[in-house]
Amino acid sequence: MIWRYLARRAFLLVFVMFALTGFVFSLNFMFPTEAMLTAGVLPANTSANVLSQYITYCQQLLLGHWGTSLATQQPILGEVLALLPATIELAAAALLFSLFAGIPLGLLAAVRKDRWLDRLISGAALIGFSMPVFWWALLLIMVFSLHLGWLPTSGRLSVLYDVPHQTGFLVLDILRSELADKTAALSNAFIHLLMPMLVLACYPTTVMVRFVRGSMLNVLEKNYIKTARAKGLSRGQVLWHHGMRNALLPVTRQIGLQFSSLLTLAMLTEVIFSWPGIGQWLIDSIYQRNYPAIQAGVLVLSTLVILVNILTEILHTVFDPLARKL
Amino acid sequence: MQLLDIRNLTLELQTPDGAIRAVDRVNLTLKEGEVRGLVGESGSGKSLIAKAIMGVLHERWRITADRFHWCGEDLLRLPYQKQRQIISRDIAMIYQEPSRSMDPTAPIGEQLAESIPDHLLQGVSWWQRSYFRRKKAEALLHKVGIRDHKAVLSSYPYQLSEGVCQKISIAMAIAKDPKLLIADEPTTALESTTQSQLFRMLASFNQLRGMSVLLISHELETVARNTDTLSVLYCGQLVEAGETKDVLQSPRHHYTDALVRSVPEFQPDLGFKQPLYALPGSIPTLQHLPIGCRLGPRCPNARKECVKTPVPERQQNHHYSCHFPLQQRGSDE
Amino acid sequence: MKKLRLYYEEYNRRPYQLLWRHFVTQQFALFGLLSLLSLLLIAIFSPLFTPHDPYLQNSALLNQVPSWQNGGQVAYPFGTDDLGRDLLSRLMLGCSYTFGTALLAVFGSLAAGLLLGGLAGMSKGVKSSIFNHLLDLALTIPSLLFAIVIVAVLGPGLQNTLWAVMLALLPQFVHAVRHEIQHQLKQDYVIAYRLDGANNLQILWSVILPGLWEPLTLLFTMALSTAILDIAAIGFLGLGAQAPTPEWGTMIADALDAIYLAPWTVALPGLLIFITVLSINLVGDGLRVAMKKRREI
Repeated sequence: MIWRYLARRAFLLVFVMFALTGFVFSLNFMFPTEAMLTAGVLPANTSANVLSQYITYCQQLLLGHWGTSLATQQPILGEVLALLPATIELAAAALLFSLFAGIPLGLLAAVRKDRWLDRLISGAALIGFSMPVFWWALLLIMVFSLHLGWLPTSGRLSVLYDVPHQTGFLVLDILRSELADKTAALSNAFIHLLMPMLVLACYPTTVMVRFVRGSMLNVLEKNYIKTARAKGLSRGQVLWHHGMRNALLPVTRQIGLQFSSLLTLAMLTEVIFSWPGIGQWLIDSIYQRNYPAIQAGVLVLSTLVILVNILTEILHTVFDPLARKL
Repeated sequence: MQLLDIRNLTLELQTPDGAIRAVDRVNLTLKEGEVRGLVGESGSGKSLIAKAIMGVLHERWRITADRFHWCGEDLLRLPYQKQRQIISRDIAMIYQEPSRSMDPTAPIGEQLAESIPDHLLQGVSWWQRSYFRRKKAEALLHKVGIRDHKAVLSSYPYQLSEGVCQKISIAMAIAKDPKLLIADEPTTALESTTQSQLFRMLASFNQLRGMSVLLISHELETVARNTDTLSVLYCGQLVEAGETKDVLQSPRHHYTDALVRSVPEFQPDLGFKQPLYALPGSIPTLQHLPIGCRLGPRCPNARKECVKTPVPERQQNHHYSCHFPLQQRGSDE
Repeated sequence: MKKLRLYYEEYNRRPYQLLWRHFVTQQFALFGLLSLLSLLLIAIFSPLFTPHDPYLQNSALLNQVPSWQNGGQVAYPFGTDDLGRDLLSRLMLGCSYTFGTALLAVFGSLAAGLLLGGLAGMSKGVKSSIFNHLLDLALTIPSLLFAIVIVAVLGPGLQNTLWAVMLALLPQFVHAVRHEIQHQLKQDYVIAYRLDGANNLQILWSVILPGLWEPLTLLFTMALSTAILDIAAIGFLGLGAQAPTPEWGTMIADALDAIYLAPWTVALPGLLIFITVLSINLVGDGLRVAMKKRREI
């Protein structure tokens, strides 16, 4: 039965990928065609009908011929693969931070409802939720970099450390390189990561706090919680066993839904902090009218979101018995 | 021994338009080994009283009582923790919709093992605890009549039928060997075969373990068959209480009389196609509760004095509160 | 002032009045509503009331500090930017651009979302499932990314930003409307209406639409805050309104080079964006709590 479910998911994934590539392919016709031809994305004989062009395009995609960038004349696939790990690192760090900070705060706020702790946490979450990300970044830069000088404003690593590019994930690269002082390099990388991560994590953390608080309050009003209390379990046991498990179930699905906003905000953060990731590359391509790069960037980011969505859906079905009913 | 001794219990709800007395000065007593029925229409406050005894009422309700004794101890004067300790040790409750009162994300085995109290596992070394818990859970399931314990223990509540779920909740309730079991309309969602199974089970527990039962229902037939004593509630007021046979054969309050006469089972000489007796009107809403005796507007025997709440009177273990009670049947001739 | 009650009469308030009473008891929500209304007034009437011309450059008064610091003038309450333009006037006009554009985008998206969502919600079978999958796909593309791509296709400018944000918000509205309609269609009272002989359109109009108001209002507030943040973000990236248009995001991007010299030119537009979004969120939260309280006793 689980194989049938996975097969259904895989079929859905294929369908969605077709639709996505179709959409990205249609961008070809919206961008100036000469640019696309020189980049080698469009096949030479544009006289063939749309369907065969689309099939050729898909074949090119799978083979890895994503065209050449108009700005650097390098193959796009190589550029994408070099920059993608940086974005994933930043997004993953922010996501983990939002989970580890957001979930406990949300649970705390729900358990102490309407007391000063709840008001404090909910108020802070509301303020963080309403803050434009670029303004928050500029504020942090002004305070921590310009006034206090504690944290650097841009980049991933200080130029003092020369770490050869192997996997693209900085932590792994530092560990695998032959630097003399690895701990210093790691702490430097961490300092560079700290501010962008805090800026990016602002939105997901506040969303998580509000969501977990609402979910927990919902669960605490249900019948089975009252029954468990009446059965004689202590308050802590009831909260831990029954309350939390039920309240945290929708969180996995929520992460999947939030991931697309996370990626968008990551783009903005990368621009502000000059973080060398896909987001900054995509924005630069838009400035430079680098159409093949824009197409590839949209494809990569959307595919990432789709994959994460499907993963969280599968995780949700694994953890939630009620979802398995369907 | 008196298990439960409640005198003048009042439950009030604060609304923007004033306080609403959902339960107005109700007296309830329960002895050890007694099966008491609490009968009333929906909206008469029976579930509220049950929840007040268990201590799981919402914070919005205000509980006042002259006496609220459990085994001699006054529960309202004790601190909250002590209250919960005593209640969770001695009283258990089963609900109307059993599948909704169970955690939907935990398998039955886990929930059943959870309700087995620690003091039954004395003398068991800690690494054997979960094994003993499981064994006890299986034994409990056998006791309530579920033979196929393996399948049931590993399934979730939504996979089982209501009857099985109700048996499981009874198993969870008797796991701690309580002195009192409150059954809040346990059979409303079940078919008749399961209903009779359930009542047989409750009767056997009552006789073999000496467990008292407070059976709350709106069906007079089932309560009449399965209880020793009976209390009748109307709209939050206790109208009559006493031994079941006594109350049903010679009701003193007009409401009880109307209830008895509306059930064909209790009237053997009812003719063919004769209309059943029913009080005119309907139960008043919470915002428009009558003053004094709440049956006033509907009672066929109501007079001017009925705007004052009647004082409960007693005649040989038969309590009733009415200014103009019915005469005892068979007493005049 | 309480109504004079001569007789003991039952006074039942209409649902909207109940909602308003519950809403008003929350001070923060009321504060949010008041600030939102004043921002709306500024957005509508600002071209008439700006103290100076927002586009007039005054080379004598470059980077004037705000009036509360030393050296500031009351004539220029918030100071001037690096081209000598009065910041207060630019911020007021920017309110029309940012807030006004966001309102237009959300209204347009709402209307289109109601139409499409209604069609999708009432359809069944293969048509419905194809539409669902397409909608899921549209939802997975991040809204800002979608908007940026559309702006990349159409070219920069405020009007294109309006279309872009409208298209980017559309999938969320369609999804919410469709979800609500399908949830309502499963209710028993709809079956009762069908048995009475109502056709699809009648059911949609009389039964389902009234039930849509609550979730739609909440969604409206969330979409409005998203729209403002998106428009400001696109402006900040330089893809939206172009200089000298005083849209708030564009103003922050323009003033970024002078952040050491004149930090207020960066802080004040951002602060206004923050206050606007905060007011919208306060109102949204207040509405949600008021609706929940209205459902209880």
